[in-house]
Amino acid sequence: MALTDEQLERYSRHIILKEIGAKGQKKLLNAKVLIIGAGGLGAPAAMYLAAAGVGTIGIADADVVDLSNLQRQIIHSTADIGKPKVESARETMNAMNPDVNVITYHDFVSASNVRELVRDYDFILDGTDNFPAKFLINDACVLEGKPFSHAGIIRFKGQLMTYVPGRGPCYRCVFKNPPPKDAVPTCKQAGVIGAMGGVIGSLQAMEAVKYITGVGELLTGWLLTYDAIKMEFHKVKLPADTHACPVCGDHPTILEPIDYEQAACDLKR
Amino acid sequence: MTDISFDEELDITDKQCPLTFVKAKVTLDELDEGEVLKIRLNDGEPRENVPRSLADEGHEILGLDPNGDGTYTLFVRKVGD
Amino acid sequence: MKITVSGVTKEVNDGLTLPDLIELENVETPQYVTVSVNEEFVEGEARETGRLKDGDVVEFLYFMGGGR
Repeated sequence: MALTDEQLERYSRHIILKEIGAKGQKKLLNAKVLIIGAGGLGAPAAMYLAAAGVGTIGIADADVVDLSNLQRQIIHSTADIGKPKVESARETMNAMNPDVNVITYHDFVSASNVRELVRDYDFILDGTDNFPAKFLINDACVLEGKPFSHAGIIRFKGQLMTYVPGRGPCYRCVFKNPPPKDAVPTCKQAGVIGAMGGVIGSLQAMEAVKYITGVGELLTGWLLTYDAIKMEFHKVKLPADTHACPVCGDHPTILEPIDYEQAACDLKR
Repeated sequence: MTDISFDEELDITDKQCPLTFVKAKVTLDELDEGEVLKIRLNDGEPRENVPRSLADEGHEILGLDPNGDGTYTLFVRKVGD
Repeated sequence: MKITVSGVTKEVNDGLTLPDLIELENVETPQYVTVSVNEEFVEGEARETGRLKDGDVVEFLYFMGGGR
């Protein structure tokens, strides 16, 4: 399918890039990316992916827009307060780029629906705010053989890593099990600087675009951390040995995603 | 006047930068290696930038001739896949 | 001896243990921090008693739960 003149103009800055060209832009238009969490990370990621012309974007979130979200979740506006986040996100994405088919899931991800959810997509972005969800997404992506970008943000810090089946460690290789509830603060308890979601969420979108177009090196086998106070990025080389991992290793013991208990404060919405 | 046989023709005199180059690049993408594209373009920015950008992409510029009406004709041979 | 901690090379006492280093670096919630030395995870007993050697590269990997 040839690009229309309107598409040539809309995506001209991509097409001019030797690494992308019309071929890469067509790959983006044919790609399906799922974003879980339409918040601090998911908002900028969804906007950049929609603007980039990713043809199908799934977005999952059970929440409605709250006034306290607007300090960082730039896909939502003041007028959207009370509206399901996935609806508000869809409207913003389609206003930016009608080429994008947005599929909304106004639901919590759980062990019972997560595998089916990720199965339809080429690349998944974890934009959730709690450890049970992060482990759930990791395990589902490993079990379904799907690449995904993990990220977390808190206070003035953020980090991310990319998992591609067979190309390095998964999130559970590094972090074994979720910490006990309330043992480690989440951003609801600890606060987060708004632009942090922009920095890390945009990097997740960048990883998705690179994966889809096959350009450059992905963040597989590395954890990239960002400290805004020190203004430092640090790339940590992760151990390459994944043999003993209970989900992606040689003798997995986790054969289905697990619903872990959420921190009490995260359930009060 | 260069007399070169060509496989495909393109007119970008109605386009503005960067669409001039984008249109030429995308049309070349569709050709096979070694095929020649004839492009009609305007003097000024397109005449200066389009041949240079296509050469940067590795394509071979075969000729650039004025048409006497403020437009130019560019012949470019596709190099690479 | 010299070791590299989170990308920064520093002079520390010979025979420094991992728990010593964790205290020295003010590592937050250390029981939930993954530690790697020379690109290998350090777990179990080695984590409690392991001594560092000259040239070791140590990384602390923190849980980061936020995102919304």
